[in-house]
Amino acid sequence: MELKARRKERLDRGIKVRTEGIYAVSSLREIAYLMMPRLVLILGLLIVPLVLPNMYWQRVICIACIFALLALAFDFLAEFVGIICLGGALFIGVGGYIAGVSNSWFGLSPALTIPIATLLGAVISTLILLPCLPLRGIYFAIISLMYPLVLPRIIEALHLFGGTDGIAGLATFPNIWVDQYLIIAIVLVAVFALRRLVNEDIGLVLHGIKDNDQAVRASGMSITWYKAQAVFIAAAIGCFAGAYLSHLYGWAGISLFGLDFSILPIAACVLGGPGTLVGPVLGAFILTPLSEMLRAFGALRIVFYCLILVGFIVFKPEGLMNYFQRKYHQFEHWIEV
Amino acid sequence: MKKKTLLTLAVSMCLVLISVPSFMAGCKAPAPTGAPIILGAPLSMGHPDGVCTQDNLKLAVDEINAAGGVNVAGVMRPFQLEVIDSRDLEPGVPTSEALLVVEKLILDKKANFIIGGPIRSEAALAAMDTVSKYKTVSILSSGVLTPAYDPKVAADYEKYKYCFRTTGSSKEHIAEALTILDSLKLTYGFNKVFIMVQDVAFATAAGDKIKAGLEEKGWSVVGYEKYPSGSTDFSVGLLKARDAGAQILIPWFDMPEASILVKQWYDLKVPALPVGFMVAAEDSNAWKALEGKCAYVVHLYPKAGIARTDAIPQAEKYIDAYKKAFGGVEPGLTWVAPTSYQVVYILKDAIERAGSIDANAIIAALEKTDMLGIYGRIKFDPKSHQIVYSMDPAEGAVTTWVQWVDGKRVAVYPPKVATDTIKLPAWMKK
Amino acid sequence: MNILIYGIVNSVVFALMAVGFTLVYGVSRLPNFAHGGLYILTGFIAWTFFNTVGMNYAVAIVLSLIVTALVGAAIYQFILIRVRGMEASEIIASFAIGLALMEGLRWGGFIKRTYTLPVFVGGTVYIAGTPIDWQRLIIIGGGLAVVAFLWLFTHYTKVGLALRAIAQDERAAMMLGIDSDLSAVIALALGSALAGLAAVAILPLGNISVEAGYNVLTYAIAVCIVGGLGSWPGAVMGAFVLGFAQILTVYFIGAQWQMVVVFLAIILTLILRPSGLFGRQKELEERV
Repeated sequence: MELKARRKERLDRGIKVRTEGIYAVSSLREIAYLMMPRLVLILGLLIVPLVLPNMYWQRVICIACIFALLALAFDFLAEFVGIICLGGALFIGVGGYIAGVSNSWFGLSPALTIPIATLLGAVISTLILLPCLPLRGIYFAIISLMYPLVLPRIIEALHLFGGTDGIAGLATFPNIWVDQYLIIAIVLVAVFALRRLVNEDIGLVLHGIKDNDQAVRASGMSITWYKAQAVFIAAAIGCFAGAYLSHLYGWAGISLFGLDFSILPIAACVLGGPGTLVGPVLGAFILTPLSEMLRAFGALRIVFYCLILVGFIVFKPEGLMNYFQRKYHQFEHWIEV
Repeated sequence: MKKKTLLTLAVSMCLVLISVPSFMAGCKAPAPTGAPIILGAPLSMGHPDGVCTQDNLKLAVDEINAAGGVNVAGVMRPFQLEVIDSRDLEPGVPTSEALLVVEKLILDKKANFIIGGPIRSEAALAAMDTVSKYKTVSILSSGVLTPAYDPKVAADYEKYKYCFRTTGSSKEHIAEALTILDSLKLTYGFNKVFIMVQDVAFATAAGDKIKAGLEEKGWSVVGYEKYPSGSTDFSVGLLKARDAGAQILIPWFDMPEASILVKQWYDLKVPALPVGFMVAAEDSNAWKALEGKCAYVVHLYPKAGIARTDAIPQAEKYIDAYKKAFGGVEPGLTWVAPTSYQVVYILKDAIERAGSIDANAIIAALEKTDMLGIYGRIKFDPKSHQIVYSMDPAEGAVTTWVQWVDGKRVAVYPPKVATDTIKLPAWMKK
Repeated sequence: MNILIYGIVNSVVFALMAVGFTLVYGVSRLPNFAHGGLYILTGFIAWTFFNTVGMNYAVAIVLSLIVTALVGAAIYQFILIRVRGMEASEIIASFAIGLALMEGLRWGGFIKRTYTLPVFVGGTVYIAGTPIDWQRLIIIGGGLAVVAFLWLFTHYTKVGLALRAIAQDERAAMMLGIDSDLSAVIALALGSALAGLAAVAILPLGNISVEAGYNVLTYAIAVCIVGGLGSWPGAVMGAFVLGFAQILTVYFIGAQWQMVVVFLAIILTLILRPSGLFGRQKELEERV
């Protein structure tokens, strides 16, 4: 008896093929096909604060955006540069403390402390991570996990910056709309800027470092310098999120270095789709409200996260965004072999 | 046929089971009729302090509701307790979680008051801004022993007047510790101490002040060690204490690893009496859990109400009620038990006197609080909203220092509350 | 004298915590970040068997070790096997499982301060004027026994030799018919059991709390990095270096710094000599 085997075949959709190159602007339909996902993202994020029932949920969106920024930074480093940075909390902590100290000791307003914290924090984070940049992935992962555990101990032991009590009473934003739209705007800017960056020359170099760093080195480029640049960018994003957080609630403390800030972005990235910079943002927006709704379960919430994380990483590593992209651009059908 | 009879039997059983309690409930005081007063409690449920607070809050709320509720200008309104897990006492959780929970309680659950937590000092300090922003009265009853809380209220009264604290500040505890040490000096002629504290704000503040106070009085402080949270080895410190001949050990710890310290102290037979704040020795099951190694440890409960004492009759009632509700266990999962139970009654008293739940009226009423509770007489300092301490339960709130002797907790200080004097460990009697 | 004895105790404690981690990494290059979770899991399982079910203490301990070994093997067989080779995913997946275990225990109600395991032998003994309790002496003895057992196991038993072969050169071992996946399962089961053994030896010194799991993972990683990831003598040496460093810091500088010392050791090692004291990775492979 003949054995009939079937396999799935994926083909690009017609409209995708028609939008290659210059033909993308040939008619409204093609433009809409390309622009639609981006418009949905932008408009969706901008409209979300307006449709939420009450202020508590608007706060949740702010927190979700913070996690989205961290997840974005993690994804950029992990998928486009090959650096696994398990310590998002480091950036939050450094950025948050710099903003807190500038505000409470020097009396600068949030409009100044946030940019200062972003840049200075990125510089400091890059400098302290610099020694491990030449090392293999696992060492960087371990040390980036360790830093957020060491720094609070040092602050605790030296009683710096308020010690275990932290710094409270910082200036906050004038109203909830500024809170939300500031961070949403930054998230959108970060997503699109990073997407543009990875298609530029420097993005190519970073991708090359991820694939085969010896080849890049052989071309005469300093790998450590490029990695440092990438870490600087990711750190700037993370430190901004940290500075924003400290002004959101008017507080900075050693719990800024908490493990939660390291784990949740990774979960969001894995869930949302690593490799597409939009996926982690989507993941953060799914996980954060989900976590709020599951609050009644207490610690079981974390167990859920971890199980989701493990499930996705093991069984569906492509994540949601990659899946959606695939469905959007391609269709599948069974054919006989 | 059989199935049908089984089904009818089951249904009728259910009906009976449902009707009995409702009948019983109907026999109690008339149910409160007004809209519930919502009490929001942001507690860290993954930690014994949080669970203890919730248990005691619930006990008090159930008692009040069963007795008819709160009389708000003639309308009987029940209390409704909303507890949300804020995870602030778990390591690695940012305080923003706790603040988000406070906001959820106020904005989403429409809480009229925030009671109980947040428990961690850092979170509570940050929450001061949040509750003040929403003009919601907050009365702390668990944790937050940092001395930084009430000066903040006093410094900016108009902004922070919504914040009240019924737990303690380590300041008063230090004064009592010094008095106890003085009495030991008189009785036994001790003059050398070794101080071991956890490296967190309230403990180091206590350690610094005790050291300064003792040195003024002529004691010799032979050592002062600060242990970071999570330390697992205290042998060096204990041996140093032994070698230097310290007669009193002053521990001030709020971390689970403190049990290692207690066990080591006992095993090494260090000839020094531990007097301090040792959470490892505060649970009612501590004797059994530590295999009796917490013997002779003198531990500070920042509020009385846990150990039986003749001086405070309300405490006896509370201990019995707790035992009845929780299956024969004595209160004292952690030291926040009596404070959490009492805070609900304080609020009830304030609401009834104010005749409304408007924040400013309640603040004024709370400042005038003067009631007898399970840890003494309850009054708030009008400027700093801190509960007033005293050595006499008829004057103010008292602590209780207890010593574990033969498996039981014996109150040894303050004198008005004590039932026995401090005993020295067997291996110290020379 | 105090320093010597308690330094040894501290070092052996670290060594016990780290040997399971280093075994798994050495054999199958899997960083098992669930180590802390398995440590605590064993403690609570032993407690449950002993207190709730009422078994004999020794039986409870043995059973809890077996349960943990099975959990470790299951973790590999069902989850880690599918992400083998992708370092990032391995780290994240194992860390997430460890976290799920610890938070699951916390949700299950194991949060009070009164969960303790009784010591094996009570009482104190004086060595050269320094008092030390029997449990700590048992830890020292047990630690040395574990190291000796591992050495004998990997040099004289068939399974142990197979594990060592895979650790040295995976391809060559596979060519000789040694199954890499089976070795990984055995290694993970053994590593988890060692974590459990560390737990039942060390936890009677204090109480069982979920927070200790995070600290254990940190210490295990610190020891392994200082000693060299994947090297067994390295783990022991690293444990002694860190153990004495901690005790000396506490003795001479102050107890405040004892945790910082451990972290500084990791960072210094990674900066100066990333392969650790006895690391098998050549510098070229790890430096770019």
